Amino acid sequence: MKRFKEYIALTLVSIFLGFILSIQFKTISKTVGEGVLPTQRAQQLAVELKKAQNERDAQAKMIEELETKIKQYEMSEVDKNVYAENLYNDTMKYRMLAGYLDLEGPGVVIEINDPPVDLEYGEGYSIVDFLDLVLQVISVLNAADAEAISINDQRYTAFTEIEKAGNHIEINGVSTSAPIVIKAIGRPETLESALNLKGGIVTELRYYDFLVQVNQEKNIVIPKYRKIKEFIYSSPVEEIAN
Amino acid sequence: MVKKNNPKIILTLFSIIVGIFIATQIKMKLEIYAPVTVKSLQMTKAEIASINNKISELNKIIKLKEEELELLENIAKGDDNIIDILQQDIKYNKLHSGQTSLKGPGIIITMYDNPEDRTIGFDLNDDVIHDIDILNIINDLRIAGAEAISINGERVIATSEIKCAGPTIRINGRSSATPFVIKAIGDPKLLYASVNAPGTYGDILKIYDIGFETTVEDSLFIPAYTGVFNFKYAKPLGKGD
Repeated sequence: MKRFKEYIALTLVSIFLGFILSIQFKTISKTVGEGVLPTQRAQQLAVELKKAQNERDAQAKMIEELETKIKQYEMSEVDKNVYAENLYNDTMKYRMLAGYLDLEGPGVVIEINDPPVDLEYGEGYSIVDFLDLVLQVISVLNAADAEAISINDQRYTAFTEIEKAGNHIEINGVSTSAPIVIKAIGRPETLESALNLKGGIVTELRYYDFLVQVNQEKNIVIPKYRKIKEFIYSSPVEEIAN
Repeated sequence: MVKKNNPKIILTLFSIIVGIFIATQIKMKLEIYAPVTVKSLQMTKAEIASINNKISELNKIIKLKEEELELLENIAKGDDNIIDILQQDIKYNKLHSGQTSLKGPGIIITMYDNPEDRTIGFDLNDDVIHDIDILNIINDLRIAGAEAISINGERVIATSEIKCAGPTIRINGRSSATPFVIKAIGDPKLLYASVNAPGTYGDILKIYDIGFETTVEDSLFIPAYTGVFNFKYAKPLGKGD
């Protein structure tokens, strides 16, 4: 009798183990894909990612080469007459305004780091969930006469959107995440005191426990806008000569 | 007890062996394959998709630059003139920096403060339009691909600030007061949805009884940026002294 009991116990335990194993297998094959080990898939993806990154870098390099070539041609032509030189300077000004030129100059750098995760109360939150505040930082900088602004090395233009996508954000269609580094060229003192105004935007960020650093810098480089905005719906209105 | 293979002892031994086996297995796996979780796989996938997007974007730029280069090379042959090319360039950059008036289809949003008197005790701030409300609407419109935006006749460009200043809101250095009329040129359907779909910022404003009306227009006029712009601090990279 005693023996019989032992067998029953053993059988039950075995069945139980079997169930657990089969459930585990089912979940894995559902989430990762049948017949594929997750590690294999990960390796495949890593290779793909590397390939895509290489291609992107190669293209960026090619664009750079083309640009220097164009610049050389332009300069050599422009030097030939004064009218062309003036026009060229005008071109540069509008390129700067439109954001199609790398710029450098004095200004401020603001770094916004996520608050440290509270171990006791579980998950922390990220600046990604507070995009309102990022929009306000930019508006404050513009109010303080910033001449050019970038967020995580994406030039802020008239078409720049800041969009939350999952646990990261997309700026100019490029995904990025915390920490957020905003650079602005302008008069450093004005920019910094506009940000640090009592009860201003930095106070508000710190109120939510974000780690904010504002630094004046003598030379900031702000990259150009790397996107082509196509005007599909709008057409220019011929300006009346005045 | 001659019976050597006592099932109990064997069972215990095997259980221990299996236990150690599983434990070591898990430990090893954690070390080598720790980053491979379903989440990390999905993230890698998303990253690849975004890089591929970027690549097609870069391809477009390369094509554009190549055309530009070809034009410049034509100068050498005498087919083209540098002045024409520069003028073309200025036109293009004026268009992209908001220095050109535009017309096209789009939407008009009219926003005004809650006109009703509230009983004492309600937060008056909930009834009034703030700069952040407008910033969010503008951001939503840009996500929907707006090509040009103006607020009360002021073109919104890269350096436009939208800031509360007492009872008014300052845009491009000019004061504006409620009602705010925001015009945007772009795909009217997309623009309309971006501020009216459930859960969007515009939709939330309506819950607070802020006046928020959207109309679709076949033809809108958005003026050029009228301010004068001078770069005092910023210099093209490599040219600063």
